[in-house]
Amino acid sequence: MRDVIEGIVLALFSLIAIWGAWQVPGASPGDTWAGIVPFAASVALLVLSSLLIVGGLRMADHGSAEIKNGSPGTLDILILFAIALLYQQSFRWFGYLLPTAIVAPAVFYLFGVRNWIGLAASIVLCPLIFYLIFFQLLGVFPPYGEVFDLMDWIRS
Amino acid sequence: MEIFPALLTVITDPTLILAIILAAIVGMVVGATPGLTASAAIAMLLPVTFYMSPIFALAFLYVIGKSGRYGGSVAAILFNTPGTAASAATQIDGYPLARAGKAGKAMKVATISSVIGDLMGDVMLVIGFGFIAVIALKLGPPETFAIYFAAFVVIGSVIGKSIIKGLISALLGIIVAMVGLDPISSEERYTFGSFDLSNGIGLVPLMIGVFVLGEVFAQLEARKKAKGEIKENPNDPNGYSLSFDEYRPCIPHAIRGGFIGAGIGVLPGLGSAIAAFISYGEGKRRAKNPEQWGKGALEGIAAPEAANNAVSGPSMAPLLALGIPGSTIGAILLGVFLIHGIQVGPTLFLTDKELVYQLFACGMLGIIAYGLIGYFGASQMARLILRVPSSVLYPLIFMTAFVAAYSARGSVFDVTVMVAAGFVGWLMRKYDFNVAAFVISFVLAKGAEETFRQSLLMSDGGAMIFIERPIAAAFLFIGIAAMGFRIRQIMKEQRIVKGALGDA
Repeated sequence: MRDVIEGIVLALFSLIAIWGAWQVPGASPGDTWAGIVPFAASVALLVLSSLLIVGGLRMADHGSAEIKNGSPGTLDILILFAIALLYQQSFRWFGYLLPTAIVAPAVFYLFGVRNWIGLAASIVLCPLIFYLIFFQLLGVFPPYGEVFDLMDWIRS
Repeated sequence: MEIFPALLTVITDPTLILAIILAAIVGMVVGATPGLTASAAIAMLLPVTFYMSPIFALAFLYVIGKSGRYGGSVAAILFNTPGTAASAATQIDGYPLARAGKAGKAMKVATISSVIGDLMGDVMLVIGFGFIAVIALKLGPPETFAIYFAAFVVIGSVIGKSIIKGLISALLGIIVAMVGLDPISSEERYTFGSFDLSNGIGLVPLMIGVFVLGEVFAQLEARKKAKGEIKENPNDPNGYSLSFDEYRPCIPHAIRGGFIGAGIGVLPGLGSAIAAFISYGEGKRRAKNPEQWGKGALEGIAAPEAANNAVSGPSMAPLLALGIPGSTIGAILLGVFLIHGIQVGPTLFLTDKELVYQLFACGMLGIIAYGLIGYFGASQMARLILRVPSSVLYPLIFMTAFVAAYSARGSVFDVTVMVAAGFVGWLMRKYDFNVAAFVISFVLAKGAEETFRQSLLMSDGGAMIFIERPIAAAFLFIGIAAMGFRIRQIMKEQRIVKGALGDA
């Protein structure tokens, strides 16, 4: 049944990709259509997704033993993914330092660190070390926080 | 003969030598750390190399790749956990030796064999690259597209358990690569009105996401699963040293492994894991003591280790001569070339010949560097790695991924791409899709599209041009034949499994 679900998700994705390729304007005379490769790849993806669905249905008909793939770590991964999404978005709002200071102990905790001194140290050390390496040593221009930027505040 | 002046140039440049030694250490540490791969390290360090000269950046990452392949054997022998997929074959005989108190001996055999295999691969690359480049110069767009097509099909269908999922992974890579402006007509594709998407999906954030963040997700999941206790290996006083008489029976296995690895390395997508297992099987078949293999035979380490490392050099041949990376490390290196404005492909031999040979020279010196460090310091390094708890290591890698993805172009959108790619990469691994095929296809897609459309223009829109030109037709046939061969192999395996179940 897992193959069927995967196949359906991929088929839906391929239909969106076909529609997206179809939106590409036609070629000017003497040129080739810019949508030809995306369109061909999307159609091929639809065909393979259909094969995946058919294969999954066949296996289900034959009553093949399905291995349950539930994992105890899935919830933690979803939490980490949510942290990752918030972390990247908060770069735009609060720059680099403040989000890193908040995210660092959260991620350490998620990975099993329970030493409170260590977690507290990560609030200062992680942003500081990464800031020094990437934004000072390598000279990368740090992201500017539109709402509040801790670096601006420290400088002022 | 161009290699000798290149070697001289590299040897006389202390900063380059320092970079090679540093890369050898980094690669070894990364390869020896279970869960970390050389691909992940290279992807993470890629933005740092923007600030280096092309040869410095390429040499640094290339040697990390080489050393990382070797480093996998340390974890396989000492912790019974292969640091890389390729070192799983080394584990078969390596861990029993470690349990018998001969870990030092096993690691020395792994080091010497890796050096032999890797040097053989590099020598063959230096000799063969010129010939491949000359042939590549004569290929037109239809032939080049046919090679791309064969690479897509081989990479999609040969690696992994499912051909369909492998090909789907390759197609997903192509579709993602199409996002942005069409390089020929400047028409927007899959941008959905977003300005950020019109610049396309960056290679660096995609790589960091798939290889680094995806691995962090996987490690978090693995922590929740049952954990094996790492037992301290006993220490035999004679188990550390290795005499020439002890290594003598390993020499033919190492040399054979070197040839097997070099042969497989030229073919895109097959990779070092396949080479290692073929060499192990072939070595056992020809061994004088096959009953000892699997229980702690030194030859059982020499054969896969030589093959595993011999893949490294020759896998650069299709990348440099045709612009077709044969491995994920090759795909990342292609990114480095592009970032530094160097066009990889048939003309590279004409435009940047010196750089190419200097890179080969750096690779050879890198082999010697990791060989010396590994021979004298692998055990100490392994003990050091064990002291770093994964609960500290992976959060640091998590945060490095974000700042590295941002640093590539100073774009927060790239960080968003990295997060999405990380989650998708984890999902692909979890549901047995082929991450390597996805990434390599992403890298190849633009070149394949360009040659495909050039071919259509040459033939006024007719697809017969790919059949009428014999070299193009031959490569299309190779791609289809490889897929057919793989289908046959899978059906055969299924029949054996069914037969075994029937007998039960």
